[in-house]
Amino acid sequence: MSHFSSKICVLGDFAVGKTSTIERFVNNQFSEKYLTTIGVKVDTKEITLADDLTLKLVVWDVAGTHTFGDVEFAYLRGASGHILVADGTRPDSVITALELRKQVEDRYGELPFVFLVNKSDLTQAWEITDEQEKALRSELADVYITSAKTGDHVAEAIERLGRMIAAREFQ
Amino acid sequence: MSFPSAILEYLQSDFVQRRRPFCFLIDADYRLQDWWGDAELHGFADLRTGENMLDRAPYLLGHLGTALEVLPFVTPAGGGTVEMHIMPSDEGFHVIVMDASREHDFRQQRQQTANEVRLLHAGQQQLIERQRTLIGELVEAKTELDHRRREAERANASQSQFIAMMSHEFRTPLSSIINYADLAREEGTSVENIRKSAEAIARASRHMNRLVDTVLDEAQLEAGHVKLNERPFDLRALFDDIAAIMAPLAAEKGLSFGIYLGKGTPDFLIADDVCLRQILINLLGNAVKFTQSGSVRLDVSWENDHLHAVVTDTGPGIDPQDQQRIFQAFERAGDTSRSESPGTGLGLTITLELARLMRGNIDLSSKPGAGCKVSVDVPALIHRQGPEEESALPEPDHEYRAIRPATILLCDDDEDLLALAEYYLLRAGYGLLIARDGEEAVEKALAYHPDLILMDINTPRLTGSAAASRLRAEGFAAPIVALTASDVRKLDSKDFTSSLRKPIQMPRLLAQIQSHI
Repeated sequence: MSHFSSKICVLGDFAVGKTSTIERFVNNQFSEKYLTTIGVKVDTKEITLADDLTLKLVVWDVAGTHTFGDVEFAYLRGASGHILVADGTRPDSVITALELRKQVEDRYGELPFVFLVNKSDLTQAWEITDEQEKALRSELADVYITSAKTGDHVAEAIERLGRMIAAREFQ
Repeated sequence: MSFPSAILEYLQSDFVQRRRPFCFLIDADYRLQDWWGDAELHGFADLRTGENMLDRAPYLLGHLGTALEVLPFVTPAGGGTVEMHIMPSDEGFHVIVMDASREHDFRQQRQQTANEVRLLHAGQQQLIERQRTLIGELVEAKTELDHRRREAERANASQSQFIAMMSHEFRTPLSSIINYADLAREEGTSVENIRKSAEAIARASRHMNRLVDTVLDEAQLEAGHVKLNERPFDLRALFDDIAAIMAPLAAEKGLSFGIYLGKGTPDFLIADDVCLRQILINLLGNAVKFTQSGSVRLDVSWENDHLHAVVTDTGPGIDPQDQQRIFQAFERAGDTSRSESPGTGLGLTITLELARLMRGNIDLSSKPGAGCKVSVDVPALIHRQGPEEESALPEPDHEYRAIRPATILLCDDDEDLLALAEYYLLRAGYGLLIARDGEEAVEKALAYHPDLILMDINTPRLTGSAAASRLRAEGFAAPIVALTASDVRKLDSKDFTSSLRKPIQMPRLLAQIQSHI
């Protein structure tokens, strides 16, 4: 049995559901109450990628922001991949997540990532049109419409990132 | 300048009390070498030299570098928020963690308020945006509704005008029919006057029939039921026919009339000659109708596999604003001289639709007071051999005599039609059975086995369709001809051999009987 550990960072605008997504993934819990993150929250979760291969993800849930400064870049050091999170009820947050991705790439080079458009349970307030979703999928390989509240596609997306990291690790 | 030692000690003590630092030394493989300070407070109880510190402090992963690293506000799972310093040295890496909970909580409170305000603002912006979109949609919907309402009002007005005009159009020949019929019935009326009355009644009836046909033609065209019937025909013969119809009408009004064929116009064409005839008669008829003095002419030419026909008149002309509108159903030009002229207001609509059906087009140019020029352009093929088929002109009416003795069963509840048919059928030499409803028709047909049945569709007790269906079910095999004023396509072709549209013209009825017997 092989074990390995990787650091991943969760990035996106404020209040898009980064902390809730990780809480759902790590502890399978959800809270309606919004509590802003200051600095970074670190958690771990072990996932099984194959019968003889497990990956311990060290998840850095970074406070929401439009742009990265020195402190945020310090948080990102040593990461093997990223989870970009946007809010489907706020189209601007998609643009923010794409801009953050570019900043990370400029600083640390290309890394595996998955793109989550969160809050799919809020169907009435959903603002991302089918055309916008199609455009996003044509630009990015791994886009997931998720709900931290219901858990829809959360584990699937993060496990996909784990597999991409493993593929890179063992190539 | 350095602090006095007493002050320095005080500051040091104060800092340690407030930040509760804990420091440990690890090697490059995260193995614990040594430690100092408040280990338990930071969740590092029962430390052992040589243990892997990644298990207790996973956040160290990826952060052992060559330069000092300071990470403020790191909150590990289940622990308080710390500020972390990682200092590389010759011995390994010194990791200092210091309590940052108080500052974290203070900042969080401040940031929470700021974020909630931002969320509220974003929500408000979205609401305002949605409101704007809704208002825009409402304005658009209202504009569209207004437009549709105006259209509906206009259509309604046009149709009301059409109904008023049609009732006027019908009343004129109808009053002729009534008056001449009264005259013919009067005691002492001479045979000559009865004959003249009958001619007047026939004339008025034919005129009414044409009016009905015009309205039905438009309905058929609008429903897309008219199909092209392209076949070879004699173009010159067609223009001779048109001249024979139009020249007397023009002469009656003192107008000069001529049809001029350009050089190179073929003798024979392949196209739908019936459509073409109707288009040209409609246009020339309009030109004659609206022109009070001067001339009406038709110029024909051939170019690039297209037949061009231009109808020019010296009439009152048409206002530019009316030129598009007059091609719409029930619309007529606003000009008094035109609107007072008789007609259904459908002629030009039918003409344009027929031209389009022939894959052609119509163009109108006119100035008020300077006459009107209407050009028709339709594609066609030249036919070298001359037409093989019969002319599209209807056969002249003649008396149809029975070729062999035959019995006809006529089913209709209209006494006038029964009397008329009785006269013509007996005169032609046929035996006649009469039924006044569908039930009677079935009974008589099964009892007497007639050679042909003429079946009205709307008969009392049992409809003509149901009667025909029952007869076929009983094995009745002789021809059944439907007589109907409605859409013949709705009839079941299994039951009926053919159909005739009402009003029935006796020569056609006799011709149809002759074709089946």
